[in-house]
Amino acid sequence: MVNYIIRRVLYMIVTVFFISIIAFILINLPPGSALDAQIQRLRQQGGDISMQQINDLKERYGLNDPVYVQYLKWIGGAIHGDFGQSFTYNAPVGELIWSRIAVSVILSLFALIFAWVVAIPVGVYSATHRYTVPDYIVTVIQFVGIAIPEFLLALLLLVFAATVLHMDAGGLNSQQFQNAPWSWAKLMDTIKHIWIPVIVIGAGSTAWLTRVMRANLLDVLNYQYVQTARAKGLKENVVIWKHAVRNALHPLIMSLGTALPTLISGEVIVSIVLNIPSDGPLFLASLQTKDMYLAITFVLLQSVLLVVGNLLADFLLAWADPRVRLE
Amino acid sequence: MAAARGVAAEDVKRAKKKDIGQTSQWTLMRRRFMQNKLSVTGVIGLAIMYFLVLFAPFFAPYAPDDQDSNNQFQAPTSIKLANGHFAVCPMVQKLNTSNFTWTYKPDCNKSEPIQFFAPGFSYSILGILHSNIHLFQVKPPTKIYIFGADDLGRDVLSRILYGGRVSMTIGLVGVTISTVMGAVLGTTSGYFGGAIDNVMQRVIELLLSIPTLSLFMAIAAALPQDMSVIKRYFLISIIISIIGWTGLARQVRGKVLSYSQQDYTAAAKLAGAGHMRIILTHLVPNSLSHIIVVAILAVPAQILAETSLSFIGLGMLPPAVSWGVLLAAAQQVQVVEQHVWLLVPAAFVIITVTLYMFLGDGLRDAVDPYS
Amino acid sequence: MAETIPSAQSTEIRPTGEDNVIEVLDLHVHFFTTLGVVRALNGVTFKIPRGRVLGVVGESGSGKSVTGFSIMQLVQHPGKIVKGQILLKARKDDQPINILKYDRHSQQMRNIRGNEVGMIFQEPMTSLNPSYTVGNQIQEAILLHQTPDKDEAWRRTVDILRRVGMPNPERIARSYPHELSGGMRQRAMIAMALSCTPSLLIADEPTTALDVTTEAQILDLMRELQKDIGMSIMFITHNMGVVAQMCDEVVVMYLGRIVERASVEEIFYDPKHPYTVALLRSIPRIGLSKGEKLEVIKGGVPDSYSTVTGCPFHPRCPNFMPGICDKVMPAETPIEGNPHHTVRCHLYPGSAAEAEVETSGLAPGTAPAAS
Ligand SMILES: Nc1ncnc2c1ncn2[C@@H]1O[C@H](COP(=O)(O)OP(=O)(O)O)[C@@H](O)[C@H]1O
Ligand SMILES: [Mg+2]
Repeated sequence: MVNYIIRRVLYMIVTVFFISIIAFILINLPPGSALDAQIQRLRQQGGDISMQQINDLKERYGLNDPVYVQYLKWIGGAIHGDFGQSFTYNAPVGELIWSRIAVSVILSLFALIFAWVVAIPVGVYSATHRYTVPDYIVTVIQFVGIAIPEFLLALLLLVFAATVLHMDAGGLNSQQFQNAPWSWAKLMDTIKHIWIPVIVIGAGSTAWLTRVMRANLLDVLNYQYVQTARAKGLKENVVIWKHAVRNALHPLIMSLGTALPTLISGEVIVSIVLNIPSDGPLFLASLQTKDMYLAITFVLLQSVLLVVGNLLADFLLAWADPRVRLE
Repeated sequence: MAAARGVAAEDVKRAKKKDIGQTSQWTLMRRRFMQNKLSVTGVIGLAIMYFLVLFAPFFAPYAPDDQDSNNQFQAPTSIKLANGHFAVCPMVQKLNTSNFTWTYKPDCNKSEPIQFFAPGFSYSILGILHSNIHLFQVKPPTKIYIFGADDLGRDVLSRILYGGRVSMTIGLVGVTISTVMGAVLGTTSGYFGGAIDNVMQRVIELLLSIPTLSLFMAIAAALPQDMSVIKRYFLISIIISIIGWTGLARQVRGKVLSYSQQDYTAAAKLAGAGHMRIILTHLVPNSLSHIIVVAILAVPAQILAETSLSFIGLGMLPPAVSWGVLLAAAQQVQVVEQHVWLLVPAAFVIITVTLYMFLGDGLRDAVDPYS
Repeated sequence: MAETIPSAQSTEIRPTGEDNVIEVLDLHVHFFTTLGVVRALNGVTFKIPRGRVLGVVGESGSGKSVTGFSIMQLVQHPGKIVKGQILLKARKDDQPINILKYDRHSQQMRNIRGNEVGMIFQEPMTSLNPSYTVGNQIQEAILLHQTPDKDEAWRRTVDILRRVGMPNPERIARSYPHELSGGMRQRAMIAMALSCTPSLLIADEPTTALDVTTEAQILDLMRELQKDIGMSIMFITHNMGVVAQMCDEVVVMYLGRIVERASVEEIFYDPKHPYTVALLRSIPRIGLSKGEKLEVIKGGVPDSYSTVTGCPFHPRCPNFMPGICDKVMPAETPIEGNPHHTVRCHLYPGSAAEAEVETSGLAPGTAPAAS
């Protein structure tokens, strides 16, 4: 068990290391950097700017080194929590990023919980009432739920909120709280706003999980032990919930690993559309302005989230399914 | 009732055994497929959609980039019946001096009949069919906007039809790439096993640990902005297939692993058949139906990927038209609030993806009824 | 589809005055599948005297399991009991009750399941829930029918596990099914089925999946417990050798009908039906000389959807008599001088007396669409 954890963690580190290289290469690919833009701006403002000054700036951001040296310097700092400087914000990446990652994690987590809480009962109902009208309705809704891309759902909700409810559904806070320090009132305001992104981010996963739950349960209901449970004289409800659902959850937990990337992707794009102060908008901006350290750090931290999520999912599975041994 | 299920499965096996050869197995699949109403809906619906976008110039009343400053944000035209003909009411433009936006009022005193199969702008389809006949036209300067007009007075319907050419095919190209990659790599991985398999599995795991959209975004942002539309189209489709092949490779690998252990593979090996021969004559044909199913099931995700990327401005870029590009124009709530018809492309995205899912689901059930 | 199902009580058949735990009368079970109606049981009638073991034999697909599940009212969707009676007389002095009068979800039916009638299945690997300990699953039944006291129920659980010959019952009770061997699991299943001392045990091929040594142990155990508890057993198997060891009486099933019934001695020493004869020939025997092939019944069970006129066995029968066997369904006839030995075969006089001209399997045209 301890062995297993150590192995998994080592494995995680290697994975993240590889991803950091891929991300670094990718983001260094396009010609030019945020620095060029900055130099241009300086030129426009102050007229002349010498080669010397440009070189100084490049030196400061380490852009004169070959790419692999840049990478080694950056990863060396990253291990200690120093993710380099943002060109556009002229601030350490670490300062810009943590609160946003926190918002992302909270949103994704809530969306995940929302998806499970809705998907399991609906999936069970759908599977146990196969070929009835509600089952057909659920099936259609879940098809559409998967078919609607998150950004569209976010957009539709925004428009709906604006035209029908006359409220601004964007952001996480009303205007007056946007830059206010945390307080009880701000928390309440946040809660009032947060359900929209949570539902939007979770909608696709909910639809998908409902489908998986329904299919799994139909599968499990064919197993002999369900018949054994019935043959004992148990009520159908107990047969379903205690004996069948319990086992139908295992593949669901196993699929957590594959569901996480979708969830994080959804969170990124929904945050962009709804303008939520999480990783999405800043990541997009950093790509557009070629703010490379900022962009790379986002990719890296998102991967870390994913890998850790996968590990947690595996533990969850081992806890839920007595047949799974962690070794 | 596992016993009963087993019996049912045995029945099918028996049926398969009785019908000799491959054809009957395909026949069986086709029969199961045709029984599923949803999957038949999927096929028919998609056929119609592809027909519409293939003949987009015929169905579109205007060229997709045909601007008209007199009809900016023109609302969908209302159609009425006049003297037994369909007709449209010309719009009268007025400046709202309070907020300096154009408002439009239909003037139904002089209605303009819709002419069917009438000449309009010239076009060619696939470079072979040249014509200027369109399904419907109205006499200029009156214009017909079934789904309204955008900020430059371009016809949304025409742009949707043309945009579908990109959106409905870019996923197919992506899927084709990922299918070929997935099938080749998955087969290799499953067939040879050992170190090759190990490396392949690790690479797949690695790719799956990168958040998909962020990866797409990073790569797409690396593409130069001033690239030709065609080049960008293919690069974007390659990008969205980067992750796509992994899932397929895993599934194919699983299938190949199970086939490799079967007698005929062993027999072929013993008979001295080469690796390539075994793979091509035994493994690929046997997993073909599964590969097709997984490929079809992968199309929706890739269509959505293009749409999402284009929507945030990293996928296809104007002047190219795709559904994502069209929706990008609907990014501002204030704009959409007043011009809801800008969201019509969304309906096309949803319908297409849903139809693909119907089709994929039906195919899967037909190929693998007990999975 | 409701109109195609005759009422379950349409033809009341009087129970006999004997002390039978269960009496099944003219049972018909149909499966309404998407591909048509499968007539799994076509008028099955048998009874099990108190304290006796009835063997139900036949090839796979002959309807043995469906018969067992019918007694529990657990025939799975899309199966329906469309006709017949099942009379249960749990205790000697009870009045027989037709349990088909109870709804399958009713409290009365649940009281019968597990309490009056226990059931064990073929696959010990899958008949226990992998997520709960063996003890938990046995205790559940005891809590349901015997005592609401958890500790007491646990004590009884350990007791019954000891009784079925588990070496370390406390430990076994706390293990999960995957930690036990096949034989141990089957013992646990037996323990569960017997935990509430039912008056009838339905054992559906309980040893088919076990190796020969384990099979012998389990059979010994079942015989011993049967004597101790004094229950009746409906022993389903396709293995004639097992029948010889276990049973007092035997019914032979083919395609949803009983084709022969007799005491176990008569089945072995004086089989009448060509199908029974063939089944007996398929038992491996010690002393079978080399080169002498073990006989296999020629042909396969026809699939459930196709139509066979006359005697359903005629296409495979070595004694096939054209003109009669393929035209007329033989009736059940007692063998001369022995009312307890009956057979459904034209070889024996009287069989065509009240012959029904009927088809078995799917009757084309009556198949309703999917439910
Ligand atoms: N779920 C089901 N759907 C359709 N047909 C079924 C189902 N379960 C059983 N049957 C039919 O009932 C017949 C008898 O099955 P069964 O009682 O399981 O046979 P066995 O004698 O092997 O136990 C089979 O031929 C099968 O066609
Ligand atoms: Mg059976």
